[in-house]
Amino acid sequence: MKYVEYINELIRNKILEKEKIVVFGQNIAAGSCLGGLTRNLKVREGGLIINTQNSENTLCGVGFGLMLGKVASIYFMKQQDFLLLGIDQLVNTYNFIRRKNPETSFTIFPIIVDNGYQGLQSSLNNFGDFCSIARVPGFAVTNKADAEKIINSQLLSPGFRIIGVSQRLFGQKVLDAKPVYINQEGTVFQYKEGKRATIACFNFSFSYGLGLQERLKEKGLESSLFSVNSMTRTNWSRIIEDAGETQNLILIDDSKSENLSCYALASDIMSQCQLKNKIIVKRELSKNWLWPNPDLLEIDYKKIIEQLS
Amino acid sequence: MQNYDLEIAKEVLRIRLSQMIVNEKYKEGVFKIPIHLAMGHEAIAVAVSSVMQGDDQLLVSHRNIHYNLARTKALNPELDEYLLRENGLAGGQLGSMNLANEEKNIVYASSILGNNLPVASGLALAKKVKREKSIVIVETGDGAIEEGAFYESLLFMKSNNLSVLIVIENNGWSLATKIKERRCDINLDKIAEALSVKYEKLSSNNVYEYIDKLKFLKEYSLENKIPVIVEVELTTLGGWHLKTPENPEGRFINYHAGPAPEINLENGPEIESSENDPVFVLAKLFEKDVFQKMSQEILGELRKETER
Ligand SMILES: Cc1ncc(C[n+]2csc(CCOP(=O)(O)OP(=O)(O)O)c2C)c(N)n1
Ligand SMILES: [Mg+2]
Repeated sequence: MKYVEYINELIRNKILEKEKIVVFGQNIAAGSCLGGLTRNLKVREGGLIINTQNSENTLCGVGFGLMLGKVASIYFMKQQDFLLLGIDQLVNTYNFIRRKNPETSFTIFPIIVDNGYQGLQSSLNNFGDFCSIARVPGFAVTNKADAEKIINSQLLSPGFRIIGVSQRLFGQKVLDAKPVYINQEGTVFQYKEGKRATIACFNFSFSYGLGLQERLKEKGLESSLFSVNSMTRTNWSRIIEDAGETQNLILIDDSKSENLSCYALASDIMSQCQLKNKIIVKRELSKNWLWPNPDLLEIDYKKIIEQLS
Repeated sequence: MQNYDLEIAKEVLRIRLSQMIVNEKYKEGVFKIPIHLAMGHEAIAVAVSSVMQGDDQLLVSHRNIHYNLARTKALNPELDEYLLRENGLAGGQLGSMNLANEEKNIVYASSILGNNLPVASGLALAKKVKREKSIVIVETGDGAIEEGAFYESLLFMKSNNLSVLIVIENNGWSLATKIKERRCDINLDKIAEALSVKYEKLSSNNVYEYIDKLKFLKEYSLENKIPVIVEVELTTLGGWHLKTPENPEGRFINYHAGPAPEINLENGPEIESSENDPVFVLAKLFEKDVFQKMSQEILGELRKETER
């Protein structure tokens, strides 16, 4: 099953659990339905699916107004850069509402356009920055296990959050890795255990981490593989412990932010553990970042293997 | 003289005198936070509050003291809030520019221009989903309607058949700039017509007329499931003259926020002897001595409430 199909199915089922829910967004019930993300959505009687006008600022405010009016809602968005127009609502309006621990749920569900060739517009891959600026929780969906956990536990839970999905992964087969550990918050997943290195993936880089873990294994280097699906600081004590044991840390973050979420974990680990190796795999924005380009995260596997051997 | 509801007149006076008391304290320098007084805006606030019933909800802007006084029916909770005290209306958390009172159905207040219009759209949509027959009233200014959120929200409200009264307080100013000096006229009537929403202008400063009109417009909005723009022409009183040696006559400074130095409580509730002042308009409807007595009684009650 494809990544987008799997997520679509989870969303469809979850939405049916809730009475009087409002599901809204531009083109969510027309054309490709956001590349399949919102295909065949149905709500129970009394709920609404609104194929809305193009007014992102107002649409963000509508979600918060619904929240104040005690009606749960989800706003699906074709590209995260459209959310730039609603930042005032995320910051100022939610600050007013969150004073009183809201009982109602509002989720914004954007597609992060990280598939390349989008040029100077529409290539915003800075999910963490939105969460940081508004101090709101954000969750990245990267595979079968985290999709299930995040959508089932977060999509309709009280309060506000952003759940992001990766455009790059839409047409790919959904990755099926079994977690050996999930933290209580549902934000840190461990998939492999190994003594030689600790790999922690951020944003939508899980597939790269899985690839690296497999290559290291081929060379006889067993490593622990984690994914941090939260966009902001979270309970990652298990990763710190693991890094303390392996003393070899590899962080992978494919976000384009200048303030990568992985830096916070790096600083926590460095202040608590003695490391032999610390490798951060991130994007080096080339001179042509304002031109359409493949926009892939480049990993020098050979170099990493050499360093750890 | 016609028989006017005395309670309404008392409300206009109470809100005027309450603000004058806040102003006296403001002049003494007791507040650390900015407060936008709304002397001259009393008629619309009393009218809005008196047409609200049941689950009707009100959203306000940075200039909200008149609505909070009208809904809360007391001065001390606001004063304590402005002093950021724990027993303030919002526990000292919201101060003035974001002051709401959920218990009295002021459900949201925003200091960001235009920000409350999208939220009002969502609240009205929630009423539609819950099949509640009550209205959302959102207050904004002639400066705030320059924001895109005004247009976006009108579109959303109309497209989704929502019942909302959008009250635009048009005082001709945005901060220190005269609206006329920096932008073209906005013909709200035409904007309403273009989007097939209803439009009404209020400008008499007569609270009784405002109540009648708002009652009608509220019903109209609920029955026809349509937003209504209510443009209220008014004057924010409290402008003052900055005197310098070069200009002994003084340069006129419009009132935006802070204390109004030329307004004094001891001169009574009327600030300007013209139709710009809703208290002046109100006074004409009553015998002079009846009006004066009413005003003195209210001031006495407010003094008693606030003397601590
Ligand atoms: C988005 C935004 N831009 C600018 C400001 C600064 N500001 C505060 S009040 C004000 C004037 C607003 O004019 P209007 O809406 O007519 O309200 P009035 O103060 O005249 O009652 C401005 C520009 C703001 N609060 N929010
Ligand atoms: Mg104005």
